[in-house]
Amino acid sequence: MSSATTTASDTRQPAVSARALVKAFGLIRAVDGIDLSLAPGRIYGLLGPNGSGKTTLIRLLIGLARPTSGEARILGTPMPSRAALARIGYMPQGEAIYPDLSVAENLAFFAALQGTRDGAAIERVLDLIELGGRRNTPAANLSGGMRRRLSLACALVHQPPVVFLDEPTVGVDPALRVQFWAHFRALAAAGTTIVVASHVMDEADRCDELLFVRAGQVIAHGTGASLRAEAGTDDLETAFLRFSGLGPDGQPLPGLTASGS
Amino acid sequence: MSLARTLAVARRIVAGFRRDHRSLALVVVVPIVITALLAWVIRGSIPGTTRVAIGNQAGVTGDRMIAILRAAAPPVGAAGGGTNGVEIELVGDGPAARDRVKAGSAQVAVILPADLAAAAAGGMVTLTVVTQGTDPAVDSQAVAALQQLVIRAAGSMGSLGVPPAGAGAVVGPGTAAPVLPTIRIAHETIFLSPDADTLNVMAPVFLGYFAYFFVFILTGISFLRERMGGTLERLLATPVSRLEIVLGYGLGFGLLATVQVVLMTAFTLGRVPVPAIGPIGEWGVGLGISSAGSPILAFVVVLLLAIGAVNLGIFLSTFARTELQIVQFIPIVIVPQGLLSGIFWPVERLPALLQAVAHVLPVTYAVDALRAIMLRGDGLGDPGLALDVAVLALVAALFVMLASLTIKRDIA
Repeated sequence: MSSATTTASDTRQPAVSARALVKAFGLIRAVDGIDLSLAPGRIYGLLGPNGSGKTTLIRLLIGLARPTSGEARILGTPMPSRAALARIGYMPQGEAIYPDLSVAENLAFFAALQGTRDGAAIERVLDLIELGGRRNTPAANLSGGMRRRLSLACALVHQPPVVFLDEPTVGVDPALRVQFWAHFRALAAAGTTIVVASHVMDEADRCDELLFVRAGQVIAHGTGASLRAEAGTDDLETAFLRFSGLGPDGQPLPGLTASGS
Repeated sequence: MSLARTLAVARRIVAGFRRDHRSLALVVVVPIVITALLAWVIRGSIPGTTRVAIGNQAGVTGDRMIAILRAAAPPVGAAGGGTNGVEIELVGDGPAARDRVKAGSAQVAVILPADLAAAAAGGMVTLTVVTQGTDPAVDSQAVAALQQLVIRAAGSMGSLGVPPAGAGAVVGPGTAAPVLPTIRIAHETIFLSPDADTLNVMAPVFLGYFAYFFVFILTGISFLRERMGGTLERLLATPVSRLEIVLGYGLGFGLLATVQVVLMTAFTLGRVPVPAIGPIGEWGVGLGISSAGSPILAFVVVLLLAIGAVNLGIFLSTFARTELQIVQFIPIVIVPQGLLSGIFWPVERLPALLQAVAHVLPVTYAVDALRAIMLRGDGLGDPGLALDVAVLALVAALFVMLASLTIKRDIA
């Protein structure tokens, strides 16, 4: 079960692991041979520009797509597995909530699909996202930030031990972003493994470990400090470019856009 | 008011349309295709042979009348220019002829009364003409064909009142010229009544057609939102199975269809009189059409059709990216079914190729089943109706499978 890229010191079973994971769409390899092993209770940042393969990697890891070759496991279960999905929380890139349902109805729906009948679970996430006072408001009438919060709550309502968040803070105002990260930190402290995909480098330092993703490959994996030291720069964006330059194909760098592009 | 800005807006619309091939096709191709289909249905329809079953209760005089009618009948098969051939068959007595019509093997039964000879001598013959009564258009066509035949044969009817030769009658000079009897046609029907109008035949069918139409549109749009809004992706990241999603959709929209069908059935069958108020005269709410068979069985037929429509909507939502594109399926999916399924034209009169098409359309079976139940009072024991219901159930099951296959996930 152990993998070469494990950096965490603990010896427990990895929460998320992948071995030689490949997903090809025709000639394009969206995920091109990724090995990883993520320890429980930590926050991992998948960093890379748009189109680098982050979303495809997440979809492979949670079994929404079948890999062309290689294997992904969640908590030791080979994916795809429908049963294992009950232990995974997934917040997709879009809002992915029902605008015609109220806040509480959206939560109750996803809770029911996850097999959670516990009404208290819904109250707990409602408190978390501070939308208790709006429980009966149709999601269509919420502000953009509130809808993002609701979307996050839908991913967390069944208290999954492994959570994948695809660009969770896109379009979220700074105050709310701080709140989100406080939630993530609290969840990790309680043992939840969190994988956050982002192309915003300034969020990276909130993660325990970073994985730089470029052209379907993990080009670097480590803590923010270790990656900076290795690249010899204080700026993560510059570090990303340095690691890209060291990539196995050795090609000249494409125009990597600035954070928040 | 700036012409440049107005033109800019117009240019933008044209530029958008140029890339929207489906809308272009909808505007340019679809109307022509549908009009052509309509023309094919109307012009290409087989000039029906009117099959007449004669019940002879008038003995020898009846035989003579049948011979006269046969001689005047337009030949079968050679019919052209809109005239229908008439095929005459002697099947025994009155009840036997009625049975032929009831079974559908003849469109019209003509019953020659026992007193035919006396009536002809008296100058007034009444022929009882019996039709099914389940489709006024078909019936009136058949009755009209018969009337034409009688008019054509009328000149030869003079001999009917004359006793047959050898019975002692002497035909010679001084004998009065044979009387040409006036022939009156008394129209009877097996089901409904001769004055049933088109509404009686259409209303039961519309129950099914509207349920099919609305359920298809609503599911199509609803599932498209699910795909586009990302909620389907999120659903698939939970332990729910594709079959559970499809069956859940079927149940949810099935409930909606149930409400619609119950209200439509009540409106079709019921009639609540509203008394006159001031200048508004007395009127009523509801069509007051009677159902010969079980409304519950009719409801089951419509529900089966609606379940098919739910899953057809899910299936076709794969091929749409916007709600407009779902609406664009209407002229492709809904309109041809309306033309070919026997709602307006009997399927057996369609051109052969279109008949084949009609037989793969689920609405065709629902139309046939609803007419069988509500007009003829058939039950599940009747083989025709049993076949219809079986086909509808099969189609519903097939569409459920098809729909769950279009929900892409690598795990079932």
